[in-house]
Amino acid sequence: MLKFPKSAALAVLALTAFASPSLADGDADAGQKVFKKCAACHAVGDGAKHKVGPELNDVFGRTAGSAEGYKYSNAMSEAGQGGLVWDAETLSTYLAKPKDMIKGTKMAFAGLKKDDDIANVLAYLKTFSQETAAAPAAVETGKTPVETADAGAAVEAAPAAEMAVEKSQGAFGLGRKAMPDEIAAWDIDVRPDGTGLPEGRGTVAEGEPIFVENCAVCHGDFGEGAGRWPVLAGGQDTLRNDRPEKTIGSYWPYLSTVFDYVRRAMPFGNARSLSDDDVYALTAYLMYLNDIVDDEEFELSKDNFASVHLPNEANFIPDDRASEPHYAKGIEPCMSECKPGPVKITARAQVIDVTPEGEGDENSGGGID
Amino acid sequence: MVDITDPKRTKQAASRRDFLKAGLLGGAAVAASAGVARAAGDPLITEIQDWNRYLGEGVDVAPYGKPSEFEANVVRRNVPWLTADPVSSINFTPLHELDGIITPNGLCFERHHGGTAIINPADHRLMINGLVDTPLVFTMEDLKRFPRENRVYFLECAANGGMEWRGSQLNGCQFTHGMIHCVVYTGVPLRYLLEEAGVKTNGKWLLAEGADASAMTRSIPMEKALDDCLVAFKMNGEALRPEQGYPLRLCVPGWEGNMWVKWLRRLEVGDEPWAQREETSKYTDLLANGKARRHTWVMDVKSVITSPSPQAPVTHGKGPLVITGLAWSGNGTIKRVDVTLDGGRTWQTARLDGPSLPKALHRFYLDINWDGSELLLQSRAIDDQGLVQPTKNELRAARGENSIYHNNGIQTWHVNNDGVVENVEVS
Repeated sequence: MLKFPKSAALAVLALTAFASPSLADGDADAGQKVFKKCAACHAVGDGAKHKVGPELNDVFGRTAGSAEGYKYSNAMSEAGQGGLVWDAETLSTYLAKPKDMIKGTKMAFAGLKKDDDIANVLAYLKTFSQETAAAPAAVETGKTPVETADAGAAVEAAPAAEMAVEKSQGAFGLGRKAMPDEIAAWDIDVRPDGTGLPEGRGTVAEGEPIFVENCAVCHGDFGEGAGRWPVLAGGQDTLRNDRPEKTIGSYWPYLSTVFDYVRRAMPFGNARSLSDDDVYALTAYLMYLNDIVDDEEFELSKDNFASVHLPNEANFIPDDRASEPHYAKGIEPCMSECKPGPVKITARAQVIDVTPEGEGDENSGGGID
Repeated sequence: MVDITDPKRTKQAASRRDFLKAGLLGGAAVAASAGVARAAGDPLITEIQDWNRYLGEGVDVAPYGKPSEFEANVVRRNVPWLTADPVSSINFTPLHELDGIITPNGLCFERHHGGTAIINPADHRLMINGLVDTPLVFTMEDLKRFPRENRVYFLECAANGGMEWRGSQLNGCQFTHGMIHCVVYTGVPLRYLLEEAGVKTNGKWLLAEGADASAMTRSIPMEKALDDCLVAFKMNGEALRPEQGYPLRLCVPGWEGNMWVKWLRRLEVGDEPWAQREETSKYTDLLANGKARRHTWVMDVKSVITSPSPQAPVTHGKGPLVITGLAWSGNGTIKRVDVTLDGGRTWQTARLDGPSLPKALHRFYLDINWDGSELLLQSRAIDDQGLVQPTKNELRAARGENSIYHNNGIQTWHVNNDGVVENVEVS
């Protein structure tokens, strides 16, 4: 299956003319494994689209910040305008420490620590670059490539008109009855009492590699959080501190929220890609990171799920704002001599100095002298 | 020096600021243009301007009109350090540049958790399932056949002002108060849709779900759902903007913005709340004692002076000065707004102008004659329930500084002798 047939003619020329010495050592197969760290945010291969990050077909030779339809950080766009073109050398530098090379890049990834990993992942990516590619197989992470012609026909074979339509019995007679499979496809919410949990199971030990592969890039290897991405573990006994750390273990009231949210919205940029067993395993691993369980063989399943309670559950209370003194009924606001003497300034935003700068126009930014 | 005699001057240069400069340089300019007969006075009046001589663009140039190029700084802005990634982030409405009570669609602040979903309305479906007699699926076409209503509502993020709990921090009301907008929505009362499906007697809660990459979900009590919620497809007369949930969003009037689920695709009826991420780990209000309030839905009575403010300094010196701002309450209408010039020692009642609609923004004005002395400006709103906007210190005394959400404390702006404005707190 040739996914990039037009590249074949170029391949021989390209390999001699452009192959860089540092890439000669790279192993594309090993790079495919390394790329799993990237796949939460980047797609590559036939039909790859932008996700959290831009698609990476033909990244070799691409001007930085130039993939059509992707919204880059200003920093990346400026780097491209400044002449940065991705090749083995520039990509190697970037992947080692992205934020060192492009200050202000959106890419949250901290960088690949091992030179081998960089060389291998570049060798892998190079197989998807037309100027050098030697007819790679299409890879979209987690999915088997399908012959597009067949897939297209399959979709067309199931038009909505052929579905058994049962009309609404309501006053307006608008809409139609939802079918069981349709409800099952969308109704995946899980409640604290376990209502909505699917069949499945997963252990702490099974969850760890799934976490490392899919989650650690943003949440850290131990749920400690990278950059400003959410911290998932730790923070016990900090809720009364000046800077509380609100994690699953320290703050969240219910484990069902972890399962439900991971299943519907994670990994960020590749939602609904995990199996139910994966989600059970990840939830078990997050319990482990939060010291809710300490046995790596602990298995979470539909059967024991509702018996798990998180430590902070009892500390959630109903909205009682109305009982606050300033909301007491019948308060007549003071109109004159409300304070004993001249009012003093006690805090100033200018001192903190965290307001974003204006865009260079004269009227924004506050006219601070 | 700007050559004010050059007929090819760019449009941009012909501004009031240049006129002021021209005044200072007038003698030199007149001398330099010796030989040309000149009338005395403002050259913007005495000389024929380009826009008065040459033709402008035709009606086919801008099929969808945009603001004047001279309004290019009236834009949403974000605070990059607030969030990890702009895909799951927020930007802010430029309140300091706006007037009246309606926010233009392109300036309504954005908050989404998985980027802006792009959905062809022909591909959009709304499902109602759970504790109903008949689970239903609607197309957009179906929804537009129900009777519809038009309502003006504000939408405020519960975190509006959340960066200011520990003290004044961001210098501009766009950043301190800009997680709010107010538009007229057109949509179908949610009640009609629920009645069409038939809510069972034990159906006490509703889960609203979005179709975006975060599949946003919130639990809403059935009483509210049957009261005034709307399923909206238009804002300010035109289709919802993509970043506001095109083609369909939920309106939950007076309640925190996170509940107004965008790209609305599903409504599930249940007998208990679902304890979703955005109603447990987020949008709960941590108190000083370590307890956390949940289901804090209503947006409290609140106001802010939008001009003068740090991004809208006083540039004209002493004399007549329009102080203006916005007030709102999730409980209903605003009954009164008071303004102080001295940091809260003495107050005077401001003038409300424009429509006074429940759960909508209200515009107020105080027209003063500024003597050039320093001002400590504050506004204080009172709603039709008699609730008075509290001070920031009153809120801190009741809740501590870790609540993040529902900061409706009174804002202070310091105006110095030069008209420069700063976000401050006062004794």
